[in-house]
Amino acid sequence: MKNFDIIVVGAGILGLATAYQAQKAGAKVLVLDAGATAYEASSRATGYLSLRGETPAESPLAQEAEKLWDSLDDELGYPTEWTQKGRIWAALDERELDELKSLYGTFQKTDIPFEFLDGDAMRKLIPCLSPNCLGGIWTSRSGHANPQRTSQAFAWAFNDLGGEIREYTPVLELLAEGGKVKGVRTPQGELHCDKLALCAAAHNSLLLAPLGIHFPLAPVRLEALVTTPMPPLFEQAFIGNGLSIRQTKRGNLHMNGGPYEWVDLEIGKEPAKPNTQIVRNILRRAIETMPVLKGAQFLRSWAGIVDMAPDQMTTIHRFESPAGLVTAACSGHGFGMAPAVGIAVSQLLMNRETAMPVGQLSLDRFKNVAPDWRVRRNWQAGRYNS
Amino acid sequence: MLGKIVVVGASAAGCRLALAAHSVGQDVTLVDEHPQAMKDMSFDAPWFYGAGLPSALLNDNSIAQALLEGSPELVECLEAGVDIRVSTILWGAFRNGPNCVNVGRPRVGLVTRDGNEILEHDSLIIATGVRDFVPSFKGWELPGVFGGKAGIALLDLYQVFEGRKVVVLGTSELALRFIRSALSRGVEIVAVIEAGDEVAAGIEAAEWLSQQTIPVHLGHVLQEAKGSVAVTGARCASLDGSSTFDLDCDSIAVAIATLPNIELPAAMGCKMQYDPNVASWVPEINAQGETSLENVFWAANDRAVDALLERINGAEPDAPPGPPPAASISTLDYIKAWISALHQSGDDAVTLCQCESVSRGEFCGIAPPAYLGKELRNQQTPVNQSDSSDAPRINQDFMKRMTRVSMGHCQGKRCRDEAVVALSLRFGCDVEAIRPASYRFPLRPIDLGLIADDDESDEIRLNWQMWPYETRQD
Repeated sequence: MKNFDIIVVGAGILGLATAYQAQKAGAKVLVLDAGATAYEASSRATGYLSLRGETPAESPLAQEAEKLWDSLDDELGYPTEWTQKGRIWAALDERELDELKSLYGTFQKTDIPFEFLDGDAMRKLIPCLSPNCLGGIWTSRSGHANPQRTSQAFAWAFNDLGGEIREYTPVLELLAEGGKVKGVRTPQGELHCDKLALCAAAHNSLLLAPLGIHFPLAPVRLEALVTTPMPPLFEQAFIGNGLSIRQTKRGNLHMNGGPYEWVDLEIGKEPAKPNTQIVRNILRRAIETMPVLKGAQFLRSWAGIVDMAPDQMTTIHRFESPAGLVTAACSGHGFGMAPAVGIAVSQLLMNRETAMPVGQLSLDRFKNVAPDWRVRRNWQAGRYNS
Repeated sequence: MLGKIVVVGASAAGCRLALAAHSVGQDVTLVDEHPQAMKDMSFDAPWFYGAGLPSALLNDNSIAQALLEGSPELVECLEAGVDIRVSTILWGAFRNGPNCVNVGRPRVGLVTRDGNEILEHDSLIIATGVRDFVPSFKGWELPGVFGGKAGIALLDLYQVFEGRKVVVLGTSELALRFIRSALSRGVEIVAVIEAGDEVAAGIEAAEWLSQQTIPVHLGHVLQEAKGSVAVTGARCASLDGSSTFDLDCDSIAVAIATLPNIELPAAMGCKMQYDPNVASWVPEINAQGETSLENVFWAANDRAVDALLERINGAEPDAPPGPPPAASISTLDYIKAWISALHQSGDDAVTLCQCESVSRGEFCGIAPPAYLGKELRNQQTPVNQSDSSDAPRINQDFMKRMTRVSMGHCQGKRCRDEAVVALSLRFGCDVEAIRPASYRFPLRPIDLGLIADDDESDEIRLNWQMWPYETRQD
């Protein structure tokens, strides 16, 4: 019995973007999630579109996403708070300046116009930036949006096309038969489909392992916070002094950064995401970066679990066996990538090929990654700051 | 072993517990946010002072003195040499647990008006008491509207109450306590409005109100607090819609109910259960008041405090504390009746979330915040689809994120409880079937300059991850 053309595992932004595109292309799609919509990495996200100058192999896909972002509100019919005002990397000390200079070398391998600016030029772009800013990288491209609102925009647009999302319906097992996808097993029973999109962050690894497939992803806990609203300060996507800082349209300063805590996940279970006293260090760095923030108040903190591949890049992979299975994960920058990933995954599912530039992003690049790669990397559960 | 104890909340119960621990030689620190700086009082947490704070509260010395005079138990702790931190906000509590194993010994974050401190401990006793529940009505932003606990504090504790003619909403024990205090200080109670058809505090209370010749309007609701810069009157309406009338007053005391201050145990991740008798999620506790987290105790009620006192004194109580005797009407039902009446008599344009200026209608219709200037292409519902009968029907965090209700500087303390009841009434599901909005640290908004860490270790500094371009290859 076939219930759906496509089942998407994971109602995060990647799963929702995939579901939206596939439903729009005429498939009957069901999205399943162990918990609520966009409740994991998609709600922790800073909300940046990264053009991936750091990893030129995935930059073409990011640039495809960039084209889609500008019209995403109209496409979906729901506001995303997309703000296209460029992106800044600022150095507040010599060490950061050296790092940025070397990063700039990598950036120049892309066709994105990046500029290296001195401190004064940086402060022209962001007047509240600390006098200690020595310089940094700037591009007028890229931008940011509200992660929760954008994920929900995809969800609602998908619903409008007749798609169905079932929350609190964990997928416990992927079902395959005769080299082909058959469906999934949930606590409520089996659900059958021709094709399966696995967009469940680090749960991807756990669900693929019984099929003998190794998808190296390490889950990591990261902290984020917001301040009370401030008057308009800057509109760019800002990175510096170890923080990402974005001013929302409401005026709150949304920031994250700091030590990573590597963790393990369990299939079908919502992971704990506690905060620690490290939020104080984030706030200290925020004030160092933009002294005017002393006038704000610390309002709310939270943490999230992000999936990280060994090379910290996006993976999009279509399997020959079981046929009908495609998986994706983006190493913590899936938010900005999502509009393009959604198209790539849905096209790979429905047409076996995609016009999106994903050639260098398949799982094949991990062929030589050892099974114990997390231990070798010191990324095993419990490790902190490594 | 309780080890080093932190007691949060210097109520009579908190003081008793701290004193008991101190007298058996335990190392104990007692923390309380009172006396609050006036700007913190304006967050309406824990008590809802509203926008009309008397300027006399600016005198920090006199309010500190008032607090001590008002609490013999606190003076007793002070004289016994308990480590007391007043005017101190416990903004966070951190401990090892799932996906977080590097904290070390449990620690709480404390912040005063001068700076912050991380205090290590072994056991945490949460005796954070209750806060005012104040539902929305037209004009509830005006100076002169306040909650019952805040009113009693202004009258009795700080003795700076400025109102002369008060309309009281509600006939609970809290309302009666407020009325007695007000009368004893010569404040006129213009009228009492009650949505239900009887005095909630019982027949004797009804008779006493009648002896005091205070008009009690049963089956009525407040339609509007009138006034342009402060309350100058109250418009009341009968619930059957047959009549409306205006009352002349300068204050409106909303003394419908109080709710437990659960921010700390909820944000720590204590396992919670819904208790309609107190209209709130509360921590699950065992016979000794211990929550699902080891050595974290919730002083739920007098019985739990007694059990905890026995534990501190070395006894091993075996009977579970159990809930206090249930009232004839649960707090949830009473609150529901009030919200239903207020929403029925007021319109959808009434502001539900003061911080973010969101109306009841905008909230229930999931409208994007006004500053976006955008609408949804199609009307959407907050009701969840799932095959699982255990799944929450509605997720309050989702509603927060989409509408910004409860996302403002009061951190939802004014609106979140009304918001969940409004969802329950409008979408026809039990309050328990709504996934509650999460509580987050800090438990109060805190000036960045006060809380920013000033002792970042070299290790943290050097190993601080530079998200997200720390790309390394094997």
